[in-house]
Amino acid sequence: MSPGLLAQSLVLGILTGGMYALMAAGLTLIFGVMKVINVAHAAIIVMGAYLSLTLFRHLGIDPLLSVLLLIPVFLALGALIQWSVVNRLAERDITLTVLMTFGFAIILEGLQGAIWTSSYQGIKTGYSLESFQLFTLYIPVVRLISAGISLLLLAGLYALLTFTKLGRAIRATIQNRTAAQLVGVDVRLVTTVSFAIGIAIAGAAGPLLGMLFTFYPATHWLWIGKLLAIVVLGGLGSLRGAFVAAMLLGIAEQVTSVTLALDWAPMIFYVFLFGVLVVRPQGLFGAVERQSL
Amino acid sequence: MRIDRRWRRGWPWAGLVLFLLVPLVQPEGFYLDLLMFTFMYAAMSVGWDIMGGYAGYVSLGHVGFFGLGSYAAALLLVHLGLPVFLTAPLVGVMASILGAGLGFISLRTRGPAFVIVTLTFTYVAQLLMLDLKSVTGGSKGLFLPLLDLPANLVIVPFYYAMLALLVIAVLVSVAIRRSKFGLGLIAIREDEGKAEASGVNTSLYKILAFAISVWFAGTAGALHAQYLNYVDPDLAFELIITLNLIIMSLFGSRGIVWGPVLGAFIIYPLSAYLIFLLPSRLAGQVHLVALGIVLVLVVMFLPDGLIRSYQAWRRKGPIDHRPVEARASIVEAAG
Repeated sequence: MSPGLLAQSLVLGILTGGMYALMAAGLTLIFGVMKVINVAHAAIIVMGAYLSLTLFRHLGIDPLLSVLLLIPVFLALGALIQWSVVNRLAERDITLTVLMTFGFAIILEGLQGAIWTSSYQGIKTGYSLESFQLFTLYIPVVRLISAGISLLLLAGLYALLTFTKLGRAIRATIQNRTAAQLVGVDVRLVTTVSFAIGIAIAGAAGPLLGMLFTFYPATHWLWIGKLLAIVVLGGLGSLRGAFVAAMLLGIAEQVTSVTLALDWAPMIFYVFLFGVLVVRPQGLFGAVERQSL
Repeated sequence: MRIDRRWRRGWPWAGLVLFLLVPLVQPEGFYLDLLMFTFMYAAMSVGWDIMGGYAGYVSLGHVGFFGLGSYAAALLLVHLGLPVFLTAPLVGVMASILGAGLGFISLRTRGPAFVIVTLTFTYVAQLLMLDLKSVTGGSKGLFLPLLDLPANLVIVPFYYAMLALLVIAVLVSVAIRRSKFGLGLIAIREDEGKAEASGVNTSLYKILAFAISVWFAGTAGALHAQYLNYVDPDLAFELIITLNLIIMSLFGSRGIVWGPVLGAFIIYPLSAYLIFLLPSRLAGQVHLVALGIVLVLVVMFLPDGLIRSYQAWRRKGPIDHRPVEARASIVEAAG
């Protein structure tokens, strides 16, 4: 592999990895506070992509603008669903809650198929195919923009978690739910808010996914696999870990598709996923699971 | 009272005799097909429940084993000429070995690894079958030689094979339920920490239970491939199969031998009827949405399933069937 090609793969990998980090952030946040794998996470992202596609085709709203429009909508929906059904179940039985999110994923997939048919879609704007040259590197504009937006949103999330009282309450709940409750954190409210934020980020990632990749209702199974690989490599519940892992896997995917074959590039995620689970189940930044409190 | 008990012991055998006689009366057509698929789903659900019901670890990846079973049987037939009816149980054993491997990765610890691994496994398996073009034919799939039987009788051997699979599944499930192994699995479901402390080798038990659980999926997949005379990556790995197994087990009652059987005998015919009613353009999508909604509703309002809820209703009082740690978390939330 020539140095030029390697540099090109690195750049594309980092740009794509930025968006992966955004997609995985919500998943790992929700796991952190609830200990529930949100199987529907990728289906929600794809839903965002479809909504953005419809807004673009019928109202001419640019997908980048629809990122902003979708955030409040998904925030409200996430809060509503968490408060009305998910929380009640999650306090009783984690396993059943995972099955419930599996049901949500299926419902979303079926609805998308019924509304938008199961054919391949993509959001093609005027600037979709533009790119520019930086030294010897070729940089597609859409990837740069999506990475930029992802980083902005992630920076916002980071600021929220680090500098606000709510953020501190969320982090405390992730670290130890019972202890957080003992010092006066309203963990139920924190859980609802965190879940809503996770869903809102997923919705925001939708238009970006739609601009970069083709999608169809069943694509979310491919994406949930990739996202799980990212959050497991990073350590479940760790946002920092998810960010680093997203970059690593984004780069690994690009390098594989250049050196091996395009067909096999998705496999790199699963190789990492299974490998990490064998060698280091807590991932890069995760805490070792404790037997009891 | 005595008659009641004798009837209880007898009804499965009466049902079996009845089902054995059906093809003699009605050797072709819609109802035989419906019953055959009901048996197939019931057998796989009973298998799923050995892991999901007894041990309390829900698998989201049984269709991965079903699909690989389909491919294994197809390849053995196409390349080596081995008939599927002979190889199906061995294909099941291959699925079990693979299941044990996945179990080794994901079941040594508690926590979410099992859900993650089983969920992604289906996609890995599908991707492999798609990408290993030289062996599997890629997205074009594989055609299996037809059975040498008159077209209207071709379903009969599959009918009996699936019925046999269901009988084996029920017998295995009963045997496990009555054994020390089964008690260990239930102990794991109720409180894994305490089970381990009282001497249950939890990792080994879980891995073994999963290996047994997926044997039925692998074997059913093998038979299904020959029934269709065709496999391709989309047909073999239809996620709706996993979804069906979960709904059937939950709806009937998890952790009870007859729960998944009852669930399958209710859900599968209803599904088939729904697909029959809908226009073909929308049937697949609406079916998916309907099953998803059923899963969410069952999880919310009937998590104990029909049999357990009925038993509780007869005893006139709700019983707390939740695992111990779930009860403890309520105390935590209240305190």
